Amino acid sequence: MTDGERARSRPSVLSPVIGLGTRAATATLRPVAGVVEAAAGASLRLQRRAVDRVLESDELERVVIVAVNSAHIQEALKLALESDGAARLVDSLFDSGLIDRVFERLLESEALWHLIDEIAASPAVTAAISQQGLGFADELGDQVRSRSRKADDWMERAARRLVGRKPSVLPAEPGAGT
Amino acid sequence: MSGVPAVGVGLVIADPVPEQQVAYVGLVTRVISFAIDAALITLVDIIVGVGAALILSLLHLPHDLRIVLAALGGAAAILGSIAYFVIFWSTTGQTPGARLMQIRVRTDDGQRVKPRRAVVRCIGVVLAALPLFAGFIPILFDSRRRGFQDRFAGTVVVEAPGPSIAEVSRAKKRAVYEASRRSPPAPLD
Repeated sequence: MTDGERARSRPSVLSPVIGLGTRAATATLRPVAGVVEAAAGASLRLQRRAVDRVLESDELERVVIVAVNSAHIQEALKLALESDGAARLVDSLFDSGLIDRVFERLLESEALWHLIDEIAASPAVTAAISQQGLGFADELGDQVRSRSRKADDWMERAARRLVGRKPSVLPAEPGAGT
Repeated sequence: MSGVPAVGVGLVIADPVPEQQVAYVGLVTRVISFAIDAALITLVDIIVGVGAALILSLLHLPHDLRIVLAALGGAAAILGSIAYFVIFWSTTGQTPGARLMQIRVRTDDGQRVKPRRAVVRCIGVVLAALPLFAGFIPILFDSRRRGFQDRFAGTVVVEAPGPSIAEVSRAKKRAVYEASRRSPPAPLD
């Protein structure tokens, strides 16, 4: 048997002393630990109550409104949005593939297609589609009117040049406010 | 007149335009307007003529009677054409073609054209067209762009800017939609 094995197999003389010390320390600190635990719990409850009170109060609403209306905050937001950091943030958002993932999930969603069907069948959209033809005719009419007026002027000038007459100054039409 | 388009109104004006000044319409615009009306009248005549011919083909009428009916049909077509112009000129001052081209017939002093004057103008158009359309040439030279028919009947043709047919249609649809939104839904029994 080596010296080391002998040392390990020998019952420790200090063990009862250590155990006794530990028990004494535990017994001594137990009331203190209870007090500390109770104090921490009370603090947490107090914090929660304070947060609840703030959230329920009108003051928070007022603060939010004042903050949103604040010129400084708006200016700060504007500067933040115009900064290079915001641009980099957007770039990194797109580079991360998160947007692609969102769109993939959206396209797989039945709810989205249902929403699109509802919108497509809505009276406003069907009316807008039916107006497309009229809108085209309208545009065509505008073009024809505009060109015909130019042709009026051109033809009149040409005819007057042909007979050597000056352009006319048209008199006012009394009360013909059409 | 407010809202007169600045382009193509045929005005050569040195001073600022007074509010009451109107723009007279030139030959090309009037020809296009008349062509649209002629197309409409012809279309209606063709439909009526084909319908009448089909009905008559079922009846075994004597040849002479057919000729008389054809002459009556022709006279009805001419009267219909005259009525078309007289009714539109004397009511809104605009035929459908004029409505599309946004022009209007008015008397010399800016009043609505009465039926008698509209008939006179119709006769004036025919008289202007008879000598190889020479009666329309004065439109190019007259200070108020009046042709023979205008001088004959004491009328002028002026710009009449207004909402387009599409805009009117849109406004009607919007009004119907807003009315339907305002009215509460009917209770279900």
